[in-house]
Amino acid sequence: MAIYEDTLPAAPPARRSRGRPQWLTGYTLAAPALLLMLVIFLYPLGHSFVMSFFRWDLNSVESPFVGLGNYTDLFTGSSFPQTLRNQVVFTVASLLIEVVGGMAIAVLLNSKLRGLRPARTLLLIPPMVAPAVVGLNFRWLFNEQYGLIDAVLVRLGLPAIPWLSDPGWALISVIIANAWQNTPLLVLLFLAGLQAIPREPLEAAAVDGASAWRTFWSIVLPLMRPVVVIALMIRIIDLFRTFDVIWLMTQGGPGNASNLLTVEAYKLAFQSVDFGHAAAVSYVALVLSLIVLALLYGIPRLTARRAATWQS
Amino acid sequence: MAELTRVRSAPAAARPRRRGATAGLVARYAVLIFTVVLSIFPLVWLVLTSLRTSDELFAVPVQLFPSTVTFDQYVTVFTEYEMADYVTNSVVVSLATVALVTVLALPCAYVLARFRLPGIKVVITVLLIMRMIPVIALAIPLFAVFSGIGLLDTVLGLVLTHAASKLPVAIWLLMAFIQDLPKEIEESAEIDGAGVIRKLVLVVAPLIGPGLAASAVLTFLFTWNDLLIALTLTSSEAAQTLPVGLTNFVTQFGIDWGPMSAAGVLMVVPTLLFVWFAQGYLVKGLVAGAVRG
Repeated sequence: MAIYEDTLPAAPPARRSRGRPQWLTGYTLAAPALLLMLVIFLYPLGHSFVMSFFRWDLNSVESPFVGLGNYTDLFTGSSFPQTLRNQVVFTVASLLIEVVGGMAIAVLLNSKLRGLRPARTLLLIPPMVAPAVVGLNFRWLFNEQYGLIDAVLVRLGLPAIPWLSDPGWALISVIIANAWQNTPLLVLLFLAGLQAIPREPLEAAAVDGASAWRTFWSIVLPLMRPVVVIALMIRIIDLFRTFDVIWLMTQGGPGNASNLLTVEAYKLAFQSVDFGHAAAVSYVALVLSLIVLALLYGIPRLTARRAATWQS
Repeated sequence: MAELTRVRSAPAAARPRRRGATAGLVARYAVLIFTVVLSIFPLVWLVLTSLRTSDELFAVPVQLFPSTVTFDQYVTVFTEYEMADYVTNSVVVSLATVALVTVLALPCAYVLARFRLPGIKVVITVLLIMRMIPVIALAIPLFAVFSGIGLLDTVLGLVLTHAASKLPVAIWLLMAFIQDLPKEIEESAEIDGAGVIRKLVLVVAPLIGPGLAASAVLTFLFTWNDLLIALTLTSSEAAQTLPVGLTNFVTQFGIDWGPMSAAGVLMVVPTLLFVWFAQGYLVKGLVAGAVRG
């Protein structure tokens, strides 16, 4: 939480307006927004938490309390462990591609290049396109008979790849589509971060004859740490709730090969009408992303000192 | 971190010419062109696909450019599918959500930024955590709740759900902009005898125009793009939006690729307009939203 503590508002001394107590004015102004979120956001969330402890069965009117039964069922069943494995592979691989790729491109582009400005505008397009459109477009590109990608591979004398029909390739295919959409956002974020780096330490390193590689690892990366942490945070939150791309590309198939937590929860709720297990899956997704984010907050605290020495 | 959005005008360092500098420059331009082409080409391909005749879609080998350009797929989308309904619903839901979020977020953000009240820090932290919650954890119980009170498959149900789920981001964003305002301006308005509401509408709102624009643009696009909420809460053309419409092209008989790509292109049009005309606000919103959580 370290980043946010500094940004919390420093409240001004209490004022009175027209004799009405300040707290009444404040709560009245904030109430409509807070009420809407309470009714449509927090109440349903509590509702689904309770749901996750009950068994829902289409064939019976009663829904008995099963305690942690829904959660233990998940881990003893066959599809959920694979879904969880997919989610881990998907999250780690996507983060690696997007962050490493985004950083590499940003570092290479970080200089006075003609055309960088229009390029930035164009790079903003993929992250803003509806993920559903990205999913359908890549489903078409990856089509084995009429798709462009396999056509190019064959033209180059390479074997065609069964992108979406082969269980081994399906997860890779959705990772590629998702990385296509999100890497440009990180390029833009890192590029902005790189341009905000103070020039002095870089010049000092140049005078000392440090190599570009060494300068990157010892100066640029430590100074970029806050931006990298923010990028990781945005992406982790998003990767744990990825749905649209997968739904339009594979619906989690073939079999469970590209199933992710959100897709599994949706299928359980609306195809199997099994709200208890579905709610349990969505809570597993929530808890997992919170754990990863908590770890992420812990790491910059430990290493913040290294970056701080450069800024002083 | 506010300077992130301003640095674009900062001059780059004048580097001394070195041997190999030209080769470096060529490599940088190569990376630039490669990155842009890779980012844009799939969308160009979508447009090219939507302009082909149905026969040519399934031609082997794949042709790069359509031999005859036709708008048949766009016509089909409106005559054989409920495209007009999807478009109308998407526009209405997105605009109504933007209006509701703006009206609700502004006073709330103002209170959180400027008032010292018990419980405010808790509210701010809860808002932050709400941003991390997977939408599916919300969508499943809302389906049950809405089916009980008749909000299922209605535009109103969609607007309320989108507004509630976009409010945390909008409030955080506006809070950041309000905190950057000098308090003296509001205080002088107070001396002139303006009430809180008047002060908010006449003094604060105009000053944080860029923040309101950023929040509106992001709210619009995220609502426009959403599939999961609409897929869960709607079941007919009465409320189905464009992304749900896209899933309707996938039938048990296969996928109707031509019309589907035309529908996809139509969905991307507002995105392109916003990126072109409001990219400053978009970047500002994304960066401010990211930095503040």
